[in-house]
Amino acid sequence: MSALSKLIAVETKLFLREPVSLFFVFALPIGLMLVFGLPQRAGTAADTGQHAEQTFLPSLALALTIGMLALFTLPMALGIYRERRVLRRLATTPVRPGLLLVAQVVVNLVMGVLGAVVTAIAVRFLLDQPAPANVPGFVLAFLLGVACLFAVGLLIAALAPSARAAQSIGPALFFPLLFLAGAWLPRDRMPAAVAAIADYSPLGATVDTLGAAWAGANPELPQLVALAVTAVVGSVAATRFFRWE
Amino acid sequence: MPVIEVDHLQKRYGEKIAVDDVSFTVEQGEIFGVLGPNGAGKTTTVECVQGLRRADGGTIRVLGLDPIRDRTEVRQRVGAQLQESQLPDKVKVWEALDLYRSFYRNRADIDELLTDLGLAEQRNTYFQKLSGGQKQRLSVALALVGRPEVAILDELTTGLDPQGRRDTWDLVERIRDRGVTVVLVTHFMEEAQRLCDRLAIIDKGRVVAIDSPAGLLNRVGTEHRVHFRPVEPVEDALLLAAPDVTGVSRDGDEVTVTGSADVLQSVMSVLNGRGIHYTALRVEQPTLDDAFVSLTGRGSRTAAQSPTDGRSS
Repeated sequence: MSALSKLIAVETKLFLREPVSLFFVFALPIGLMLVFGLPQRAGTAADTGQHAEQTFLPSLALALTIGMLALFTLPMALGIYRERRVLRRLATTPVRPGLLLVAQVVVNLVMGVLGAVVTAIAVRFLLDQPAPANVPGFVLAFLLGVACLFAVGLLIAALAPSARAAQSIGPALFFPLLFLAGAWLPRDRMPAAVAAIADYSPLGATVDTLGAAWAGANPELPQLVALAVTAVVGSVAATRFFRWE
Repeated sequence: MPVIEVDHLQKRYGEKIAVDDVSFTVEQGEIFGVLGPNGAGKTTTVECVQGLRRADGGTIRVLGLDPIRDRTEVRQRVGAQLQESQLPDKVKVWEALDLYRSFYRNRADIDELLTDLGLAEQRNTYFQKLSGGQKQRLSVALALVGRPEVAILDELTTGLDPQGRRDTWDLVERIRDRGVTVVLVTHFMEEAQRLCDRLAIIDKGRVVAIDSPAGLLNRVGTEHRVHFRPVEPVEDALLLAAPDVTGVSRDGDEVTVTGSADVLQSVMSVLNGRGIHYTALRVEQPTLDDAFVSLTGRGSRTAAQSPTDGRSS
């Protein structure tokens, strides 16, 4: 077996042995949807001032899954690998340490896709809501959202001075992004300037484009572009600033 | 042809000169020690040899190759164990070996390696459950899993208890017996004295001396000491008259005779010849610590850290 496939196999095992990351990916999004979604289904959503659109909650759950992988799990794992000199150790072998980063991203991506599929199925059957209507648009929004959030995660991994710092920066960035996505306050109630930023923020744009495609509409082009640009800028900066030790 | 040739190596980090001028050669099949206090430039030197760092000056050849230009080939043939290198908590011993094995052209048999390193029972153990010594042995196993011609072992026994340290020394000798050339980086004088065929003492980025441990001791000419408590009185003059003896001193009942390497035989023949009984005989041989102090003009860190059980034998 090639070095990369072995690395991916081992990283997958390590991922599956961490109950916390499994919980983030497979349990938390569904749990949140049930907590907030069931009352909505009972028709109380409008009264409590929650988002009216049916697709907002499932889109938010998907974005949450990807966001937690990208902003918590990935930078944390890479921070630990740097601190424990695993990357340095790899540099003494014929394999380039960058391959471990590739393996990490691949494993987190696959887990993200699996988590999304599980969440989508849960939405369909537990909440009795329709499956995504505009499938190509949905896939495109999902891929760009993943690329954008993972690029931000890699940038955190590159800039964080330690694993502990990465562990704090992830959430410190995640919750404001979640706010901008409209998790607590619908965006139409935010001040106009904040809402304008929110529309193009990583999680905000991901939630919107996923939601639009879910409902059968076409995702907004400027938001897709915003995701793509953040993905490219983030990845380039991460590559530029990444420290191996 | 030497396995490793380092010629006037120089390496700076910004303004700080880590390695000023280091030259040495390592021959096929030997255990070569790179010895010196912390911060002397030992690790930087071997990192340049491994191609992990680019030298600012001088040349390095490893197995006839340039460690930067031919990095992949050098890494196929040189195994390295890094100072303070860890693995993820939840990787099992066999998984780590199986993974690292896949990086190399020549692959060692994992079960054989585990047995050799005394890790057979830990095959399915998570890294986090291993003892310090076991982690260290696994780290060595990872350095050997590609059947290297050269193994570079950096601060192998730091943090191990005395038993773990001795086990690791046996291990290093077994590695050499497999035909692997070993470069051992250490600040433990005792370790270098016990293991190395030859060693380079590095201090402040420069080579102070290169020799065999015995050669270094001879070079600084430190004296051997014999201590004993005579049961019957013995005159100083009697001892001083014996060959190889250079001095006699007393501390209460204890007599200390100093002299060259054969001083013990001289003392024994005087005592036995006169029928003088004695107790508490012990011999204090010069150690590399003494040689180090004499060569660099200051103490190594070892004196404070390691028990001096190598001094009397």
